[in-house]
Amino acid sequence: MGTRHFEIRDAVHNFIQLDEIERQVMDSDPFQRLRHIHQLALSYLVYPGATHRRFEHSLGVMEIAGQIYDVVTRLDKISDDVRDDLPEPGTLDHAYSRSLVRIAALCHDTGHLPFSHAAEDELLPDGWDHERITYEILRSDEMQAVWRSLRPQPDPDEIAKIALGPRKIEKLGIDLSFSAWDGILAEMVVGDSFGADRIDYLLRDSLHTGVAYGRFDHHRLIATLRVLPAVPSPGDDGGDAASREPQLGIERGGLEAAEGLLLARYFMFGQVYFHPTRLIYDQHLKDYLKASLGAGRFPTDVAGHLALTDAEITAEMRKAARDTGVPGHDPARRIIQRDHFRVVYQRRPDDTTFDVRALYEAACEKFGDGNIRYAGGPKRGGADFPVRDRDGSSVSALSLSHVLNELPVSHNQYIFAAPELRKEAKGWLDRERERVMEAAIATQVEDETNTATQGGNDTNDEVKT
Amino acid sequence: MNRLAQEAVIVGLARRLNDEGSWSGETHIQKAAYLLHGLTGIPFDFEFILYKHGPFSFELRDELTSMRSDRLIDRQTQPPPYGPRIVATERGQQLEERFQKTTNRYRRQLDWIASRIGDRGVMDLERLATALWVTRRLGENAAVQERAEAVSELKPRVSVERAAEAVEEVDTLIEESRDFAST
Repeated sequence: MGTRHFEIRDAVHNFIQLDEIERQVMDSDPFQRLRHIHQLALSYLVYPGATHRRFEHSLGVMEIAGQIYDVVTRLDKISDDVRDDLPEPGTLDHAYSRSLVRIAALCHDTGHLPFSHAAEDELLPDGWDHERITYEILRSDEMQAVWRSLRPQPDPDEIAKIALGPRKIEKLGIDLSFSAWDGILAEMVVGDSFGADRIDYLLRDSLHTGVAYGRFDHHRLIATLRVLPAVPSPGDDGGDAASREPQLGIERGGLEAAEGLLLARYFMFGQVYFHPTRLIYDQHLKDYLKASLGAGRFPTDVAGHLALTDAEITAEMRKAARDTGVPGHDPARRIIQRDHFRVVYQRRPDDTTFDVRALYEAACEKFGDGNIRYAGGPKRGGADFPVRDRDGSSVSALSLSHVLNELPVSHNQYIFAAPELRKEAKGWLDRERERVMEAAIATQVEDETNTATQGGNDTNDEVKT
Repeated sequence: MNRLAQEAVIVGLARRLNDEGSWSGETHIQKAAYLLHGLTGIPFDFEFILYKHGPFSFELRDELTSMRSDRLIDRQTQPPPYGPRIVATERGQQLEERFQKTTNRYRRQLDWIASRIGDRGVMDLERLATALWVTRRLGENAAVQERAEAVSELKPRVSVERAAEAVEEVDTLIEESRDFAST
């Protein structure tokens, strides 16, 4: 473990401290590249202040992950029902786990493509995403040299488990299993409820966009985080708290801070992350990259990945915007000259996800694929988490909090059209909405009916486990 | 099975679990879907990993959130300490009716799993689903003791004795589910 400590001034956390090993990680090429990857892609075209980068975000995630680790492993904060799952403070295991969490937090975004998430899904070969590239970077020669200087030397897979979390490990098909402690360490960094990634990006994005909704009392939140037994369920006959798998939860006194975090997230989704103009710029950027990149894909080898940042893409895009003969000229021009497609349909309260997709497909047929775009955010609701109630029991947060219960699922879905078709497309969608939706569902029902009639049983022979 | 048909089947599963008096929280739906998929071959399009309370699918979690957003299912709050139930909404049941050819095709499997696990708690389902996970990996012919030890190794909170009970129950469920393979 390192002995010297360094301090970096930060807009959100004032000072971020790091040791020699963390400094080595920070000085590596994969991490320094993050200085040139915008945290919020082209959002600066909507919010001029949103020019912050993944570099400072990753440092912030390390700082918060370290704080969470220190709080939840304090001797006086560990209850008997989870004590066996946690390393004892003062031991080598404890120091090693802390180091792993902070390094994983530092590295969790190194695989991001230029402009972050904006263009990922269609611009990498099948089976690849930025987490897979992060995984490859963690195992690369350059990072292996850093890992070798750690004592005990970590397995990059151990860092990957924490940096990516079980959701991504599942998606990548990597055969790694999670112990209860592994799961908790991953929750500290990328967890759905209290992950340091989420805490830092909300605070940082709020600061830089000037959208105040993203702020919440993160000091109180972190101070009240605990490792707790999972929420009980009826029918768990004879099962005491110690026999339920532990996870990250919160003291009763921190519940309002947790509500604040989830409300902040909900508002930031609507105001920033799924702002329609931001979304359509992502689409134009994707169109540009598909046209301009060799074979329409980003490289996936580590060297190729490290060579490309927002800077290289922006320089090429500016040239393409001026030259009609360059592939990707039209979407590049739309971005540089701010001549983006316009919203012609926004998901209505009574619509379903399927309805909006059906309308989009019908609009493409009517007005041409090149003139219509769809964009929408993923729907992630707040997951339940345990709360240490005043009597010491572990209780479902959703059973205590009306705020969490009533928090709607974000559904921001939009259909866009080329500016010259805006009025016509909007009118057509308003008129044809009911007919298109009904026809789309009828087609799905008919498809299923045909399957049933033709083959009967379409059960899988191969069971996915 | 297309996306809407899959949603109709999940609505049917939630409804049956409720009818059987199950708590039908998210974990119940998760385990029921895993057992249905693993035992009867209902072609759910979800990957499962070994995670909290045994096999777990983040894709299914996202699907349940999406279905809640589309008002096909809803969360019903319960008094502390328990988490919410998942219940089928009227709109969800309308979807089930529209896809009745599909839901009828899987009716027996859904009724069967609801009757077998409807009254079980999460910890019980964790043992059962993990026992099936291990059985799929080691093979049905592996000895009960070997599989029980593997379950206990994966889930240290589960004793080998309790794991052996779960493995034996899985063997019974596998036997019962052979019925569905021929239909």
